[in-house]
Amino acid sequence: MPRLRALTTSFRHQAMHFLSDPGWLIPNIIAPFVITLVVLLMYREVTGPVVLYAVLGGGMMGMWGNTLYASGFSIQSERWWGTIEAVLAVPSSLIWIIAGRTIWNALIGVVNGLLILLIAMVAFQVPLDIADPVMFLVAFFLTLMSLASLGLLFSSAFVLTRQAGVLTNGLEFPIYVGTGCLFPIVLLPGWAHPLSLVLAPTWGIDAIREAAGYNPQGIWGTVMPAVGQGAFPFDLAIMALLALAYLAAAMVLFKVVDDKARRTGELARV
Amino acid sequence: MVAVADPVIEAKGLVRVYRSSTGIVRKKRKETLAVDHISFSVGRGELFGILGPNGAGKTTTIKMLTTLLYPTAGTATILGYDVQRDAMEVRRRIGLILGGERGLYYRVTGRHNLRYFADLYGVPMEKRDRRIQEVLEMVGLAEKADMRVENYSRGMKQKLHIAKGIIHDPEIIFMDEPTIGLDPQASRETRRMTQHLIEQGKTILLTTHYMYEADELCGRIAVINNGKIVAMDTPAGLKSLVKDTAVIEVEGFGITDHEMNKIRGIEGVRTVSSTVTESKQVMRVQVCDAGEMLTPVTRALDCKILDVRVKEPTLEDAYLWLVEGHA
Repeated sequence: MPRLRALTTSFRHQAMHFLSDPGWLIPNIIAPFVITLVVLLMYREVTGPVVLYAVLGGGMMGMWGNTLYASGFSIQSERWWGTIEAVLAVPSSLIWIIAGRTIWNALIGVVNGLLILLIAMVAFQVPLDIADPVMFLVAFFLTLMSLASLGLLFSSAFVLTRQAGVLTNGLEFPIYVGTGCLFPIVLLPGWAHPLSLVLAPTWGIDAIREAAGYNPQGIWGTVMPAVGQGAFPFDLAIMALLALAYLAAAMVLFKVVDDKARRTGELARV
Repeated sequence: MVAVADPVIEAKGLVRVYRSSTGIVRKKRKETLAVDHISFSVGRGELFGILGPNGAGKTTTIKMLTTLLYPTAGTATILGYDVQRDAMEVRRRIGLILGGERGLYYRVTGRHNLRYFADLYGVPMEKRDRRIQEVLEMVGLAEKADMRVENYSRGMKQKLHIAKGIIHDPEIIFMDEPTIGLDPQASRETRRMTQHLIEQGKTILLTTHYMYEADELCGRIAVINNGKIVAMDTPAGLKSLVKDTAVIEVEGFGITDHEMNKIRGIEGVRTVSSTVTESKQVMRVQVCDAGEMLTPVTRALDCKILDVRVKEPTLEDAYLWLVEGHA
């Protein structure tokens, strides 16, 4: 129960902080609009389901960018505000505190992703005919969970570093490219495929596109043709397994970084 | 070390070394000894002060006792729990009150800050809101509780720091320079609240470099310098270290370091210190015999002197005498 309470109160705390800063309009309203515009311009020569494919990739970009930045800066902000020591002095483990915040960040990421779809439909008249709306929402929800666990894993590294900004910038585009948001991962060199396959968002976007009904160059038909196309439930299963693996790794890492922070005394340095 | 009845904080041979490095290819490693084998005990219900100049090791000591830093050597226990091995048990029973502008969530209200920490400290849900109201009233913030912290004055922020540190009703409270940067009225208010906590039976460990604060509040004081405890006694006991001295206080303009060093070199001078206010400079010279030393001290000054007085030594004089290496 104390863990759940630390998680829920941190979720609420992050929500209040998020909403109290008008700056949220930039990443969550303006950026999705820009992403949609960029994606539609890139694919302006094509029509039909290919546009849907592209817009879904844009949605995933919005989800990932938001989760990554919010996770990176939630620790860095504590440093700037001088609150990190007060947080470390409480009898709740840091991982549950950060987990609550990360779930909020991932949720906002999903809202961001859905907003991109909405903008594409309303502002740019892109027809979004989702083949299986229920599975589409299930895929979105599981992607939210996997993004939260990936955000948590990254957050553990951000506890120790004062360079969260550099790290988040560095991690943004490799994930856009490596997970198939921008174009199918089959177009990447072979050595990059294993790296793509250990990233949960790769499976998330694959599942979302499968549920939407247009995924001609998905993982199962191209990178792993032996399984064959249309193995959509496996996307979700692998994504869930990866999320659990991230979670387990984050739990170990948080213990390690918490110990190291108290040993080196570097935590409060801005 | 003097035995203390019913000790609730015990530090034995605490050492803290900070390791840092510079350079990438040819790394240079540096070690800084911040706390050097300090030992002390604090009894239940006591207000114990740690007094020392900047960089003496006060905050490092508090960080080790509040589990934020591991000691490099030595041990410390809080209510019998080891600060490293039983960190969670320690954290449940202590409160940490920091001084300064930082350490609060500015974009949300004071009440939200308290609710967040009440939850993280595990204050029972059914008691939480009542407890928040209780501490808000205690620190005098009840009417401003629903204002964003960014609109608080410095004094109000300090009140919120105190409320946050006691929200879970801890038995032991650590206060790290709680009056730093406060105006006299807000400082007095903070001291009143500290006194109130002692009356409630709390044990407090307070660090400060304000002598009058330590003198007014603390039952015992440890003077720390360069990471070592150089004296530990009651305020009266510390003052008695300089009982056979007097203080010549000179008010003036433009007293230079060169002149102060010249005075330090005069035989019979024990310490020299200076403070600058908006309108003048006040130099305090601790001497063995004020009558005999008055002339050589004023002769060494080549500046405008407004006033010269002879005063009884205070805790500040005892402190200066100790931190200048006379212990």
